[in-house]
Amino acid sequence: MQLARHAFALLLGLLMLLLDPRTAIARDGETPPAADAGTTAEPTPARPPKPPAADSADSSGASGPPAAELATVSTGSSVNVRATTEIAGYLDSTATSVLTPSIAATVESPTAGWAVNGRYLVDVVSAASPDIVSTASPNFKEVRQAGNLGFRYKPSTLGIAGNVGTSYTPDYFSLSASVQLTQELDDKNLTLVQGYGYGHDTIGRTGTPFSVFSRDLAYHSIALGASRVVNSGLVIGLFGDAILERGDQSKPYRYIPLYTPAVAATIPRGASVDQVVASRSQARPLEQLPLQRDRFALTGRLAWRLTSSTLRIEERGYADSWGLRASTTDVRYFIDVSRRITIWPHGRVNLQNGVEFWQRAYASNGSNDIPALRTGDRELGPLRTLGGGGGVRFALGKAGATEDIVLSTTLDGYWTSFADAVYVKERFSALSATTLDVAF
Amino acid sequence: MTSRASSSPARVLLLLVALSSAACTHVRPWERGKLAHPTMNGAHGAGPAEEHVYSVQEGATGGGASAESGCGCN
Repeated sequence: MQLARHAFALLLGLLMLLLDPRTAIARDGETPPAADAGTTAEPTPARPPKPPAADSADSSGASGPPAAELATVSTGSSVNVRATTEIAGYLDSTATSVLTPSIAATVESPTAGWAVNGRYLVDVVSAASPDIVSTASPNFKEVRQAGNLGFRYKPSTLGIAGNVGTSYTPDYFSLSASVQLTQELDDKNLTLVQGYGYGHDTIGRTGTPFSVFSRDLAYHSIALGASRVVNSGLVIGLFGDAILERGDQSKPYRYIPLYTPAVAATIPRGASVDQVVASRSQARPLEQLPLQRDRFALTGRLAWRLTSSTLRIEERGYADSWGLRASTTDVRYFIDVSRRITIWPHGRVNLQNGVEFWQRAYASNGSNDIPALRTGDRELGPLRTLGGGGGVRFALGKAGATEDIVLSTTLDGYWTSFADAVYVKERFSALSATTLDVAF
Repeated sequence: MTSRASSSPARVLLLLVALSSAACTHVRPWERGKLAHPTMNGAHGAGPAEEHVYSVQEGATGGGASAESGCGCN
């Protein structure tokens, strides 16, 4: 709570600065000398919009408008409008598939420094994973709808962005709001950012009204960071996040098999559904997770623009109060094949240990000896994921307008090894997304 | 104890920013053509579906905040 109070005080201070009319004076409205303006290696486009705070409502962690929106080039009009549609498909070796169409739009005034944006997406999920088979349940099909609205206002070196979002499935309803403040210093060579978000999730069961059965999960998120221009092609950044979750987020469908202590020791990694069913005790309680979770992440970013390519590296270190520690490395290398075509390879590595209460096979001596904390969520166990793939981007606009119509597509594959789980030893998955972005 | 713990990350952050600043070149607004390139933005090349997959497949979360340093216009 101390951390939350400090962050709130900082936030309030910056907000007061922002509202002070004296701060509206642009500190670095320098214009380039005419002789210098033509010597830059690349033309300087209008200021790309800053993405607003993270959209936490759809659990995606995605922040801001779609990438292509950030390539907006002012055409002389005071207001730019862009629309984006994406369709993505996911498949994995545990019989889960997801189809995700989405639409998004942004209206912005680069000269006045404001922008509003919105996004709506649908997830059509179909699953028949071993976890579902083990409970003798039919295949799982679900539609999730999520949307968010955001704004950004940055008339000078101080800026504010906000975002509200919601996500709905028949058994899960999420609402969130966030605000992010940015301040540019040192002629915009140093950018400070801080943000606060609040979300509230209602967790229920399909077919049962929330009024009959539901659990509440509330979360506060605080972000603090800085981005530094090192030279004319290199930017580095360091960002810290704290997310404080309060409430029971146990899955009301997830039953945990228990075993006598002697049998538990013999359950192998990747034990089949039949093996688990034959070995487990009669008692099969629902999952029970701790009622609060404090998550902390520290993320370093590097973006380096070379003559005709860009290297982007992101490294995230993570720790939480459940004992989970993780390292995530993400690398993209964009290559300009021509003025209209960009390709990029992409790699991602995620390594994590398990939460403190993780066990492959929970031991119990009877119904009076059920472990207080128990889970069957493989993503809370030790795992490692290696991912690789890439994308290609085509600028399809008329001559000289490389940002008017942009078509891009990505394909990535992932291999995940679960070091200490039943049912599944490894998972192969693939994600493909195609995006069309149009300026009006 | 709580206060000390909560202020430590901020001190580390400030220290790192200060150290990195010492090696930095002061870049003027009209020298920012490369910095303003779309691929320099953290969101470029990653759509909402990709972020959602990571949030489901990985136990960790966070790192969504960003503060790009763009072309310096406006």
